[in-house]
Formats: sequence, C-alpha cells, structure tokens
Amino acid sequence: MIRNVSKLLKHTKGQKSKKEEINQAASKPQDPLYPNFNDNVEALRSIYKDCSDVIFRSFSLFGKTRAIVIYMEGLSDVQSLEEYVFTPLTKESTDPPSSLSDFLVHQLPVAKVTKIHLLADCIESISTGNPVLLCEGQSSAFSLGLAKSENRSIEEPMAESSIKGPRQGFIESLQVNISLLRKIIKTPAFKMRSLKIGTHTQTTVTLAYIEGLADPTLIEEAQNRLNGIDIDGVLESEYIEELIEDNPYSPFPQILSTERPDVVCANLLEGRIAILVDGTPFTLIAPVSFASLLQSQEDFYQRSIISTMIRWMRFFFLGVALLFPALYVAVTTFHQEMLPTALLLSIASSRENVPFPAIVEVLIMEIAFEALREAGIRLPRQIGSAVSIVGALVIGQASVEAGLVSAPMVIVVALTGVASFMMPRYITGISIRMLRFPLIILGGTLGLLGVVMGFIAIVIHLCTLRSFGEPYLAPVAPLQTKELKDFLWRSPLWMMNRRPHLTGDYNEHRQSSHLSPNPKAGGEAKNRQE
Amino acid sequence: MKKLLLLLSFSGALFLLGGCWDRTEINDLAIATSAAIDQKENDQIELSLEIFLPKAFGGGSAQGGQAGGQGITLVISQTGSNMADALSKLQGVLPREIFWGHCKTFVFSEAVAKKGIIDHLDFLLRQPDIRERAYIFVSEKKARRILEQKTNLEPYTGQALLEQTDFGIGMRVTMQELDEMLVSRMQSAALPYLKIKTQKKSEEEKFRFADISGVAVFRKDKMIGRLSEERTRGLLWLRDEIKGYTVSASPPGVNGVVSVNPVSVYSKMTPSIVDGKWRILLTIKTDGVIVQNSTPLDFFNPTSLASVEAALQDSIETRVRESLEKTQHQMKADVANFAAEFYREYPEEWKQVENHWPEKLSEVEVEVDARMIIRSQGNLILPANEKEGGEQW
Repeated sequence: MIRNVSKLLKHTKGQKSKKEEINQAASKPQDPLYPNFNDNVEALRSIYKDCSDVIFRSFSLFGKTRAIVIYMEGLSDVQSLEEYVFTPLTKESTDPPSSLSDFLVHQLPVAKVTKIHLLADCIESISTGNPVLLCEGQSSAFSLGLAKSENRSIEEPMAESSIKGPRQGFIESLQVNISLLRKIIKTPAFKMRSLKIGTHTQTTVTLAYIEGLADPTLIEEAQNRLNGIDIDGVLESEYIEELIEDNPYSPFPQILSTERPDVVCANLLEGRIAILVDGTPFTLIAPVSFASLLQSQEDFYQRSIISTMIRWMRFFFLGVALLFPALYVAVTTFHQEMLPTALLLSIASSRENVPFPAIVEVLIMEIAFEALREAGIRLPRQIGSAVSIVGALVIGQASVEAGLVSAPMVIVVALTGVASFMMPRYITGISIRMLRFPLIILGGTLGLLGVVMGFIAIVIHLCTLRSFGEPYLAPVAPLQTKELKDFLWRSPLWMMNRRPHLTGDYNEHRQSSHLSPNPKAGGEAKNRQE
Repeated sequence: MKKLLLLLSFSGALFLLGGCWDRTEINDLAIATSAAIDQKENDQIELSLEIFLPKAFGGGSAQGGQAGGQGITLVISQTGSNMADALSKLQGVLPREIFWGHCKTFVFSEAVAKKGIIDHLDFLLRQPDIRERAYIFVSEKKARRILEQKTNLEPYTGQALLEQTDFGIGMRVTMQELDEMLVSRMQSAALPYLKIKTQKKSEEEKFRFADISGVAVFRKDKMIGRLSEERTRGLLWLRDEIKGYTVSASPPGVNGVVSVNPVSVYSKMTPSIVDGKWRILLTIKTDGVIVQNSTPLDFFNPTSLASVEAALQDSIETRVRESLEKTQHQMKADVANFAAEFYREYPEEWKQVENHWPEKLSEVEVEVDARMIIRSQGNLILPANEKEGGEQW
C-alpha cells in the first residue's frame, strides 16, 4: 500500500517538474550578448532592477572607450578591483593596445580573466562574485576572477570530535572543502563533477569519487539522481539527501553525512562516492550500510583490540538504547517472575508511592529527556548548560523525591540516554531514540511479545532497506563471512587486504598481503627487493 | 494516504482496546516469598503466606526508617478445606493480587505430611505461576512458625531457607523432583526436615534458627518417619548430593581424629540379580582435603596416608549402611531409588516384584565400596602439635 502511495506521489511530482522546466526556460536569458554595448548594459540593468547590491561602475578605458564593470557588493574583492583593474585601465594612455581583448586576457594583472559570450554567463559570473567587464566595441564580456568570500576558519568538527586523529572539519565553502580533500588524496584519479542545483540558490553540488575504485554504474546512478533534482533552493546537504535516498519513509539514514575530510577520504578509498554541497560543512557519502553507521573514524586510529572492544560495547548499547525501557516496562508489568527476587523487591519498594503505571512513567521520563536534549541543543550555549542542570535536578532528583517517578526508572532512562549517545554518528542515535517509543508502547500493551514483535519488524525493515542499491544490513544479511572482520571486530590493518564487497568489488585489491609485521618480514622484504 | 492512516489508527487501536488485560503493576502485587501448610481440625488446612511489605523495605526511598529489625514481611493465614479454598480466602483479605512467581519455599507441617501431601501438590503443580523449582520442606511443628521466626542474616525467612538449602548441608528437593519421586517406581520420597532450634543470645533474648539437617521419609505420599542428622548424611552420600560436610575418622593405632572435606564425590549403583538374589553394588569415590588433623601422623608418609584413607572409607561406609538400615529395612522406603536401577537393568524381573517392592526392598543386599583419596593436606605439612619435628617451612 505504501508503495502505491509513493508511486502516486512520484507521478504527480514528475508532472509538476516538467511544467516548472518550461517556465524556467522562458525566464532564463540564454541569448548571446548583443553586439551593441548599450544594449547589453540595458539588458543587465533591467535584469538587476531593484537589486541594490549590484554596482554598475562606468568608466572610460584609457580615456577613450566607454566601459562598465558590474559586480556585487560584498562578493567581490573591491580593493583588488581598484588596484589591478581600474588603476591600469583608467590611465590615459597615448597608445591604446591594438587588440583590447588580447590585452585584457593576457596583460591584466588578475589571476583569471575569461571571455564570456552569453548573457546567462554574465549573470552567473556576477552572482558568484566575479566582476564582469563590458567594453564598447567588444562583442564579448570579461569575467574577472576577483571573487572574495568570507569564510569561517577551519575548526575541529563540532558534531564529530575525536581524541586521536585529524582535527580539521569541513566549513561552509565548497572550494575550501574540496581543497581539504585534495590535500589528503593527491592522485589525479580523484575526480569531481560539479553541477548547479536550485533554481534560485544555484548551489554548486560536487560529486567526488576516485576513478578506478568507484563503480562507474554507481557514479552514473548518483549523477542521474542528482540531475533529476528540481528544487528552488538547496540550503543544506539534507535537501539533497532526502531527494536522492532509496527509501524516503525509513527512519534510518541511508546516506551518511559527515563533516570530517578524513571520513570522506576513507570512504572514497573504499569505492564510495561523496557529494559535497556548497554552503554546508556536511558532506554526503553513499552507499552506506548499517554497519558503517555504527563505526567511528577513531576505530581505525587506535589499536585494533581496543577498537574491537569499543565496537562490542557499541553493539551492546545499541540494544540498550533501543530496547531497555521497553523491556523494563514489559517485565515489570507483565513478567514479574522474570526478575531476580531481590531485584523485584527493591523495584517494588521504590514503586510503592508512584501514582502512574510503569508505561506512563517511562513515557513521561523519556519525553522529558528528549525535550531536555532538544532544549539544550537549540539554546545558546550558556543557557543550554543551565537547562541541563535544571533538567537533571528536576528529572533526576526532585521527581524521585516527590514520589512521581521511581528511582529505577530514572536509572533506566538515564542509561538509555547515555547509550543512545554512544552511537558514533549523530543521525544513527536519533533514529534509534525515535524507534524506542513505539517499542515502549508495544512493551506496555503486549509485554515481551510486543517488544519481540516490534524488534522483528525493525529487523525486517532493515533487511529490505537499500542504499544506492546496496543491502543495508551487509555484511550480516546477506552474510559475507569475510567482511565480518570489519564489522563484528576490527581486524588489524594488515589483514584488510581487500576492499569491502559491494562497494569495493570494482577494484578489490587494497594492499599487498605481506604486511603483517614480524621479525622475518624485514629480511623477506629485502629479499623481495633484490 | 487516507487508507493508510485508517489502517494505522485501526491497528493502533487494537493494541489499546485489548485493555492490556494481562497487565499488573508491581505495586498491585502481594509478592509471596514463602508458603506454609498446616493441619487443622475437621480435615481443614491452614495456608500461611509470607508476604513482602514494600513500604517496610528501606530501599532507595528517602523515608528510611526501620532498617533491619522490624521484618519486611508479613505472615498471614486462612483456613480452608483445601489449598484453593484457603487461598481464595486469603485473597479476600488482601488488597493486592497474590503473586506466586517468587515463592521459592513451601513448608508442610509434619501433621500434613503424615496425612498425605499429594492433594496439596496437585494444586501447586497445576498453577502455571507457581515455580516448579521451589524447594519443599517438612517442619517438625507448626509450619507457620517457620515463616514467623525472625531471620538474622537474611532479610526474610524464604530467602534464609533458600540460601541455607543451597549451601548443601541438608537435602534439597524441588517441587518437580518431589513430583518425580512420588510418581516414580521408588514409591517413596524424602524431603528435608526442619526443626526450630533456639540459642540464647542474652539473658532475655533468645535467638531462633531453622535447622535443616534432617530428612523426612515418605512412602507413597505419606510421611512415615525421619532420619537423624548422621543418617541424613549417609543418604546424601548415596544420592550424590553431599557438598558441605566434613568426614572425621581416627585411624587405627593412633590417638586423635583426622577430618576431611570432600571436594568431589562420585557415587554409582550397580544392580545385579544372581541366583534370585538381588544385590546392589554401591561405589562411592571421594576426593578430599584434610581440614584438621589431631593425630601425630605425617601425611608425607604414604603408609600413614593410606591408613587415614582406609579409616575414612570405613567411616563413610558405616554412615551409608546406617542410613540404609533405617530406610531400607525399618521404614521400607526406597529413598535411594534402587527401583530405578533394577528396572533399568532387569525390566522383566522388576515387573514381578513391582507390586510388593517395599517387601522386596528389604531383601536387597547392599555392598558398599567406598573409596577416599586425599588430594591435599592444606597449608600445614606436619600436624600443628608436632613441635619442631622436622624442617619448618
């Protein structure tokens, strides 16, 4: 049924987008520039009518030819414009250059000067911050590479901090983000394709991959999905994510978003693709599996035994975050015989004065916890900490002392909260936290039976999920025993000689297989060289 | 979309319309921690329950108050014509639903046991929420008094009995095992026998505790007698259940006693019928550790070790024989379960004696082959009373 509904939706969407395309074509000036200088200036003036930030600066070229520079205030480097464009060009010279066009392209002390012939290109150049120079008697315009953007400095990523490992995070500028990636992957096989998405924002979206590692069909598929997007604006990579993911109704993220260049590079090296969006530090990675959402970049930056232990803890706390409150409710209201006697007695004594049934109690606490978390994030940092202190006192202590909530329930909720923050990816934690609520209700109405039913439903859903066509639960379902070395535990790097199946199939060979360090290895390596 | 919403709300309502019929909050439960059954006049019985009082249990709540001292349980009883009747009356006086899930000890009084316990067992085994792994006891006097006595180390009586039993001093029989004994070919059963003993704490205060070292012997479902503590131990050796006991013996020719703790015990019964004579060979292998030695013997000497082992073997054999003498010959109760052994080996012959097994039982000859091997002598090499006899370690 859901499928039918979604089909219907897709259908109507398709029709709409066609209409919009027609409208767009009519409004977009695809025409070449007029041969006449005045016509061009008039055309641009009418396009930029009521745009107070667009500056039209007329001057005379070498005191003879009329010229105009059009730029956007704030987006272009005005100082350089004065110094390197106006100063040399307004000089009254006795012998003007024979070919103005050649002079501008080759002799102007500006890094990048391009000749443009379309009105549309002029508009694009202006809106990206590159001033456009129009001269009388020239049929083409000149785009001067003097864009300037105000960027935040590169900082440690806020949402994915790490103790060991690189501390650079992406920022809002696409160019800077790409440069961060290029600094890590220097091979020319690292390719990028850019396209503009958003009728009004004209956001640059870049598809990055390593040629020879990423499957060409995957690249093509991603390109197709991106090309299919027709939206008025892209403000964050989530806009793209929601429009290209496989199952839009799932609570689980099927595309990984990260603000760490090292994470992006690691995934590129495994044959995945990255989608960078201008204006946001979050980069999308596809395809991903549930397993990779449970991994942190730091798993690979510390000893494999420690990473393995941490992964097992994560698995355990994944279960806690998802099931613990539901199990608590189910066991205390339906299956009291399952608790050890001593535990039951202490729960019984602490529940003695609680006026609510366990399910109401747990819902109150969980919702309060979620509210606190949300309030703490949205508020300015100084107030945020105050909220968390008040919340901790009210929820933790006062409510128990007032007899509204039992102490074991506070422990359950607190442990669950901590467990959900154990998930290394923020987005995974959120979907787990959300799924907890239906499970609590099932546990409170149908007992353990309900919890088990809910859990099975979740697992079935996970089995059906795909991320860019790759099964979401891989390598567990379908089972790939060889891949478990990077899922159930983290094998030492010298054991992971092949790229993961599915994404790395196109080029399996990752490294040579004699990398295990041992006393002999030195000698052998020498022999091999000889 | 409308249909989807309809479907969702419909299925959502299904969960709630059920009314959560099975749901019971913990604070609506009267948690029974142990139960006692006593005999009353006119074939009436009295069912007593030890009910947990959550309010009295200090726990995490800030009210604090009576720590220890005042019991955290309450004993309440009602009389009825049978268990079900008494229980329904009990429920009538309690504001909360009686919850059997944590009742792990059941005590029958001797009077009830002598009249037969099978009817009561029928009730207990029929309820799905009563644990089959609960322990069953027989008490010397009123069973209710066992529940009422103050416990000292444990928070309440049920827990105390449970821990004491798990320690392995006395016999340990669960409800399921009792049921198996009663329906099996042995046609008899044995249950731990509780006595209340008192000890003076101070001039006025007396300190009571339950002693579980005896055994009540049943033929069919009726109690016919009991075994003393020593004979109980013999039975435990037989049944391979001995755990926390100490065996003492004095080797011939020397003064003093050597005590040994069994570390592992293995016992096996081998039945044989030769020329119409029914015999059982009882093999008991014990590994032990010396815990006390008041003899001058030096256990580095293999001959003295052997003599001690021999003496201990004799001591074990005597115990086993004494308890068999009582049960096999005087009570004619097959508490060691010879019946199963014979049935397994000689099903044809068994069929012929099945109907008069108790009589046949007393004719069975028992041969005891007890073997004791001392594995360790503890931290002392020489006896403590041997002064500077050899090198000191």
